[in-house]
Amino acid sequence: MSESTPAALPSAPGPVRRAGAARLLLAHPLGLVSAIVLAAVVAGVLLAPVLSPQDPDVSNLRDAFGGPAAGHPLGFDSAGRDILTRLLHGGRNTLGGAVIALAVALALGVPSGLLAGYRGGRFDSAAGWVVNLVMALPAMVVLLASRAILGPTVWVLMVVLGFLVAPVFFRLVRGIVANVRNELYVDAAKVSGLRDRRIVARHVLIVVRAPIIIQVALVSGIAVGLQAGLEFLGIGSGDTPTWGAMLNEAFKNIQRAPLLMLWPGLALGLTNGALVLLAAALRDVLEDRGAAPAVRRRRAPAPEAPRGTDGTPAGAGGRARLLSVRDLAVSYALPGGGEREVVHGVDLDVRAGEIVGLVGESGSGKTQTAFSILGILPEGGRVSRGSITVEGQEIVGMPERRHRALRGDVVAYVPQEPMSNLDPAFTVGSQLVEPMRCKLGISRAEATRRALDLLSLVEIADPRRTFGSYPHEISGGMAQRVLIAGAMSCDPRLLIADEPTTALDVMVQAEVLGLLRRLQRERGLGVLLVTHNLGVVADLCDRVAVMKQGRIVETGTAEQVLHAPGDPYTQRLLGAVLDDVPARGPWRPSNAEVS
Amino acid sequence: MKKSARVAIAALALLAAPTVLAGCSDSGGGAAPDSGPKALSIATMTLPQSLDPKDASGSALPFFQAVYDTLVKREPDGSYSPMLATEWKYNEDLTELALTLRSGVKFDDGTPFDAEAVKANMERFRKGGGAQAKTLNDVKTIKVVDAAHVTLELAQPNPAMLFYLSDAAGLMANPADFAKGDALKTKPSGTGPYDLDQNLTFIGTRWTFTRAPGYWGARLPYDTVTINYFDNETAIVNGLKTGQVNAALIQDADQQISAESDPKVKSTKQEFDFQGLVLFDRGGMVTPELRDPRVRQALNYAIDRKTMLEKIRQNRGEITNQVFGPSTAAYKPELDGHYSHDPAKARELLKEAGLGGGFTLKLPRIAAIVSDALAASLQADLGAVGIKLSWEDVDAGSAIKRIFTDRAFSGLVMNIGQSSTDWVVVGELVLPGAFNMFGYTDDTVKELLPKIQGRDAQAAKAELQALNEHLVKDGWFVPFYRMTFLHVSDGTVTITPQDGMAVPSIYNYAPAK
Amino acid sequence: MLSFIARRTAAGAVLLFVISFLSYTLLSIPDTDVGRQLLGQGASQDLVDARNAALGLDRPTAVQYADWLAHAVRGDFGTSWFSGENVMRAIANRLPVTISLMVGVTLVTAVLAFGLGVWAGVRRGAVDRFVQVFAVVGYALPAFLVTLVIVLVFAVHLRWFPAIGYVGLTESFTGWLSTVTLPVVSLAVVSVAGVAQQVRGSVIDVMRQDYVRTLRARGLPPWRIILRHVVRNASAPALAVLGMQFVGMLGGAVLVEQIFGLPGIGSMTVNYTTRGDIPVIMALVMVSVTVVIVINLVVDILIGWLNPKARIA
Repeated sequence: MSESTPAALPSAPGPVRRAGAARLLLAHPLGLVSAIVLAAVVAGVLLAPVLSPQDPDVSNLRDAFGGPAAGHPLGFDSAGRDILTRLLHGGRNTLGGAVIALAVALALGVPSGLLAGYRGGRFDSAAGWVVNLVMALPAMVVLLASRAILGPTVWVLMVVLGFLVAPVFFRLVRGIVANVRNELYVDAAKVSGLRDRRIVARHVLIVVRAPIIIQVALVSGIAVGLQAGLEFLGIGSGDTPTWGAMLNEAFKNIQRAPLLMLWPGLALGLTNGALVLLAAALRDVLEDRGAAPAVRRRRAPAPEAPRGTDGTPAGAGGRARLLSVRDLAVSYALPGGGEREVVHGVDLDVRAGEIVGLVGESGSGKTQTAFSILGILPEGGRVSRGSITVEGQEIVGMPERRHRALRGDVVAYVPQEPMSNLDPAFTVGSQLVEPMRCKLGISRAEATRRALDLLSLVEIADPRRTFGSYPHEISGGMAQRVLIAGAMSCDPRLLIADEPTTALDVMVQAEVLGLLRRLQRERGLGVLLVTHNLGVVADLCDRVAVMKQGRIVETGTAEQVLHAPGDPYTQRLLGAVLDDVPARGPWRPSNAEVS
Repeated sequence: MKKSARVAIAALALLAAPTVLAGCSDSGGGAAPDSGPKALSIATMTLPQSLDPKDASGSALPFFQAVYDTLVKREPDGSYSPMLATEWKYNEDLTELALTLRSGVKFDDGTPFDAEAVKANMERFRKGGGAQAKTLNDVKTIKVVDAAHVTLELAQPNPAMLFYLSDAAGLMANPADFAKGDALKTKPSGTGPYDLDQNLTFIGTRWTFTRAPGYWGARLPYDTVTINYFDNETAIVNGLKTGQVNAALIQDADQQISAESDPKVKSTKQEFDFQGLVLFDRGGMVTPELRDPRVRQALNYAIDRKTMLEKIRQNRGEITNQVFGPSTAAYKPELDGHYSHDPAKARELLKEAGLGGGFTLKLPRIAAIVSDALAASLQADLGAVGIKLSWEDVDAGSAIKRIFTDRAFSGLVMNIGQSSTDWVVVGELVLPGAFNMFGYTDDTVKELLPKIQGRDAQAAKAELQALNEHLVKDGWFVPFYRMTFLHVSDGTVTITPQDGMAVPSIYNYAPAK
Repeated sequence: MLSFIARRTAAGAVLLFVISFLSYTLLSIPDTDVGRQLLGQGASQDLVDARNAALGLDRPTAVQYADWLAHAVRGDFGTSWFSGENVMRAIANRLPVTISLMVGVTLVTAVLAFGLGVWAGVRRGAVDRFVQVFAVVGYALPAFLVTLVIVLVFAVHLRWFPAIGYVGLTESFTGWLSTVTLPVVSLAVVSVAGVAQQVRGSVIDVMRQDYVRTLRARGLPPWRIILRHVVRNASAPALAVLGMQFVGMLGGAVLVEQIFGLPGIGSMTVNYTTRGDIPVIMALVMVSVTVVIVINLVVDILIGWLNPKARIA
């Protein structure tokens, strides 16, 4: 996570996050438990010859159904065989079979998926077609026919099963790789002349690793369960002891010795359960769907005090009526417990009719500040200190219902990345109409009329057509205009625009900025403009606050700050404008964003 | 639950001997919950190959009995009574069997049942390539005397001929349908008490028979009979308990106990099948070691039948060493205990035979018959005397081929019905045929057979017993035990077990009083 | 849309053809000696050969397949080698059983899995843990064990439902309902567990989408965002899983069919494949592949409806 492209990586399950995956997994309670259970099962099974030097087929019918005895802690089965021995040796075959199925599935699915996803084109279509074919094959017929041809062993069944589930891995890998192919860092690698093989090895494989691991856990569970099911149907392993065979044998004697089902059932259940739980834990850890949202680790903020800030209405006095932020701190829960503060005591004011720029690098806490004002901090984040007043109302600690009432018609939001901020499933029109009907309680016809007006207002050439379009059918610039129209739809007084032009190309940027300025003037809006781009600030803002590592380091009028920056950081920022710092990538949903 | 194996067995049973081989196919009965008192539904694990009489075989017989009549009726006690034939008479040397036919019987389309129909049916059966066609091998010609009389001229006496006429070979279909290709397979047409209801029949799962209007004979007590096929006894027993099944045959000891645990369930015991190892390789074609009778005796001594019966059948059965059942003339009670469990003796016999180092015996394993426990214990018992038993799993698709076409094995662990007709047993197990596929015989057998064949079983009792004793002492077979099967009903049906069949005839069900 | 369906149908026909060829080849390899199976061990080899010849089994596999194909394209799938029954009629007899299960389970799964999944994904916390535990248990327990317990408890002990059998929908609605309820419940345990997990995951992903935050910033009430936007966007992947489960039940319900003594497609597939009754199996293969193709098409159309971006012109 280099300083220059700080936000491009966090979301992708990239190399940085991976480093601590194993550790995180062990910190995850379910992950730990399931890992221990699995490790115990695998160890027991691997050490079967040591733990039980007997042959699993040794039978003495006289002992049949016998209870625990010396040297036979679990007793005997219906044929007078030692249950523990069979359990351990059966596990070898059961788990070994699952491993074979997985090996086959991975060997077939992953390379072809990588190639199809990375190369696309003809190989992709051909592979896709084969995969469709395999998935349409009637599994039972294929299993039975293969068994008739190759013999009734558990290994044959598992190889065939591996073949049948290979498409799962193919699709998984192909999908992810196709998505990743055009990502920044792969592009960069291509530009820098890395050969495909190295790109795949270095960048692409790393991205697909986590989903594959999760899928492996799930598919192992399926393989183990399916084996038991086939055994039950009599399509089994022949004489090879497996858990499924034991369970089936126990079932046949269920009237006589119901407890025989206990051990193989337990072994199967525990293993399967542990695999599923492990998959869930891995998903939590690797894909970050856990209850405790992971926060990107970053360098601890420097303990420097806020610098003297001229022009800032410091202290409690002189708070702006429209928006006033005092001593705002934002904290995120850490996965292992505890909290990390990412915004440390920010003061900020926006008055009606004023555009205030909130400037800083990505990761400096500007967006967190903006989200705090809107009350839409991501999961796990909270305002841990300070006060925010909007139109004089304190919103820190305000009930969500009342806070919600302020959103849309008092405070409105223009997001950064236009495409991802429109719901792909609905037309532009319906996304404009819905909040108006909700917030303003107007009829559909009225809302439609207003929406069309708004689209004209944001300088869209053919409002009617755009109204009926889906987000993917319009350009990024148009989408940003739609979002601005959406923000304006309920006549707000304060507009919070988070990097509203970053994702747009230069020509469109200028148009959108012009539009914002016009609207602000016409309607007398207060605007908090979050940006890393000092050029935009120079163009638009009345006042500027500069943020660094969660603190405001400098505040003042745009002129002051741009022409006579007091803080070295601001100076560095100004210098960086010339280097044209790359825009950060789209905001990624799976991360707690702290920029 | 090993379904494929069950199917294999059902297939074996179908293909095998008529009645003798009830294999693992069973029948059961049950009545649908909504059927009135005049409806009977039976649960079975036997799948008839088709409903064409030429495909008929013992354990599937009830399906056929519903639609077709046999020439001779076999009563529950095994005696014969008139059905489509009202009288029958052998000539002096038992080579001609004269039948008098019932007059006035018509098939559904009006075709009369007469001597020509009998001739057409029997000739078709004999040449039809069905599993039971061989039972008419001894019939040289079928002579039509007049419309009501027909004479079977036999190449040699066959003491089981009447039995066969009460079985698959005696089923009479409408000759008018013979020209219609495979019509009879799915649209059976006979003179029987019921018609197959095409609308309520789903071949392979449920067959519904409704009373045939104007049936010539006595009305059976039920207006409709449904036979439902299930592939496991657990389902049947559950259905019995919850009222979907009212009659069934349960083989498995565990399921028997489960059924008996329900207070309303009524049960009747029957010992019909014995379980054992049929050693057809006495000539040593596959396993040369088996040529020596001492080796075969050693096998018999090595097996711990008592423990097997106790642990596998939960003592539901009786130890036996002979293939003849108690109702035959050949049966000698003392032979049941001829071989004790004596591993030392077995080892000694093997040593005498020059096999001190043991040998390997490969057997096919049909999972429905050879349970885990049976497989493991046979392996252990034989292993203890130095015989390495190796099992090869076979299933429905491969069983018949591996065993009977490839002749890859020296023996087969089977459940085999113990017919009360001595000659049926001889025909199945002693004469060359499916279970004597290498055609093995010896001097004693060669000497005794002619004395038995030309006579009534009771008259030949001494020879039959001598034969039986020889078979036991010479180790032709390794029988384990006769198994107790359980006819169960949900209390609404009285079931009379059928002599000579594991499954009751269709006539043997009546409402419980 | 019409041209999309037409194209997919054409592709499906090609798929059917290729799979039919592969299946026929695969099924012809094991030498099950049908004639011997039909005639039994007692029949002479001449008779067996004659029977095999009568069935056309003495010809090369390619010729047999061509013959089968020539009839199949005309809708004639022949008769079973074993029972002599018309194959299509045999399948038509059993299909309603399987379809009852498939549709029943799919409906139950759709309702329960979406309810639970959305609830868990939105509320997290205790609800989430409950759904997770349920999913784990549903997955971890061997399916037949669950089914057996259900039979023992609800049929054999409580006598609420029949333990076995199937009553056609046309024969009696209540009879049908009472015979399919337990099988459907048994099958639904696993599928609800799986799909609820999927829905939960998708809901959590969607909840983190930018547009959801923007919708919140517009001041829309949470329930409205969830019901209208989150559920719709989270449905597509779950729908794909549901579609796969639906298809999987064609053969995969065999355990449940056996335990409940249901005459469905699953047990038919196992029985006939083991015996090598090629006409029946081939027809089953064709039916199941057709179902796969149709279901995939339906799922794709539904996903297109849910997600306009995925719509194919």
